[in-house]
Amino acid sequence: MDCHETTALLQAYSDDELDPVRSASIERHLIGCAECASRRDELVKLRARIRTEVPYYSAPQPVRARALAAIEAATAAPPRPRRERWTWVTAGALAGSAATVFAWFIGTAALEWQATSDIVTEAVANHSRATLGNRLVDVASSDQHTVKPWLSARLDYSPPVRDFKDDGFPLVGGRLDYLDGRPVATLVYKYREHTIDVFMRPIDSGKPATWRRSATQRGFNVAHGSAGGMECWAVSDVSMDVLASLVQHLTSSAG
Amino acid sequence: MKQAHVDRNRFEQAVLPQLDAAYNLARWLTRSANDAEDVVQEACERALRYFDAFRGGDAKAWFLTIVRHACYDWIKRNRPAEIVPGEADAIDDAVDPDGVTPEQAVIRQATTAALDEAIASLPAGYREVLILRELEELSYKEIARVADIPVGTVMSRLARARGMLQRSPVLHSIRERSTGRG
Repeated sequence: MDCHETTALLQAYSDDELDPVRSASIERHLIGCAECASRRDELVKLRARIRTEVPYYSAPQPVRARALAAIEAATAAPPRPRRERWTWVTAGALAGSAATVFAWFIGTAALEWQATSDIVTEAVANHSRATLGNRLVDVASSDQHTVKPWLSARLDYSPPVRDFKDDGFPLVGGRLDYLDGRPVATLVYKYREHTIDVFMRPIDSGKPATWRRSATQRGFNVAHGSAGGMECWAVSDVSMDVLASLVQHLTSSAG
Repeated sequence: MKQAHVDRNRFEQAVLPQLDAAYNLARWLTRSANDAEDVVQEACERALRYFDAFRGGDAKAWFLTIVRHACYDWIKRNRPAEIVPGEADAIDDAVDPDGVTPEQAVIRQATTAALDEAIASLPAGYREVLILRELEELSYKEIARVADIPVGTVMSRLARARGMLQRSPVLHSIRERSTGRG
């Protein structure tokens, strides 16, 4: 390959768009030609600078809120029928003895699944309501010593509150929500431009936790974790890895 | 306005993960944070209307295509002076095809703001190809689909865009300032 051909293909080479044969032939030419090699270095430098210096504009919260509102408006469909599961369980109970036992298992599994998904649904609903509206936090503070007493004063438990700013999750405040029919402590964290809600409550010792560790609903990710007698659900539009990392911080600091 | 029923879950799974890319492209094409917000919402509404036609596959390229159209329609409506017919081709001819010399390269130093400005001042046809490649890391084929141009044109515009940046007066003025200082 000569200088002319190399110059013509240098961009595609740098963008990894060439087949291996032509890539190899360009590489051979670059070893022997200082001028083309310096052109390549220039290109590499420019691209590195673009990647490190030029901002990537992530969608700010209002963009997400408006997208969700547009979806809401376009898909206002009747709510999912919930009765079916109950009918199912009832039908099972009415069946013959062996069938009843079998149906009881199925029914229990269905109810448990329903309970999990209800909590996930509620958590996602709480999160999108808070981010859509103006009520992101009831108490705005990055100081855990402000947020914790505020929440403790309004609940019958005292949730652990930590700021994970150094790990990329600054605490921005706290909020009171309802989850599973009871008031729950909501800790609000940021990750870059994203808001993460963490719903924190004591583990109900009567009902051992069998929650799934993660779920995705309506485009939001939900991660569950527990430690030190508390359990939490973290909800956000960040990736599951990021969410799991926050849950990891929360549970290791609580335990 | 009546519209076909949209499978909400399927739509959210396809579109919500693309909001960052959508906003980033809109932000670079409109060069305004407020306008980009409006454009992304407009694109979402269009996507909801056209979702029936989406047959699965590459949701990112599909949605970015809509975002790009929404951007240009928005610019046409609000800032028609920015739309220059055949802009990209005209500039193709005007640009000196030679690269920068190694001497120029060695002393090149610029601040973040300068590189930003240089990209923002590229003609839209070059800017979009560069942003899709460098920030969204799309392949030539994907860029061709989003920008509705042949792959060969993607390659040549990318080369021109990078060449323009390397010779950008913004970068040069910064370079002179910084060499003047020390």
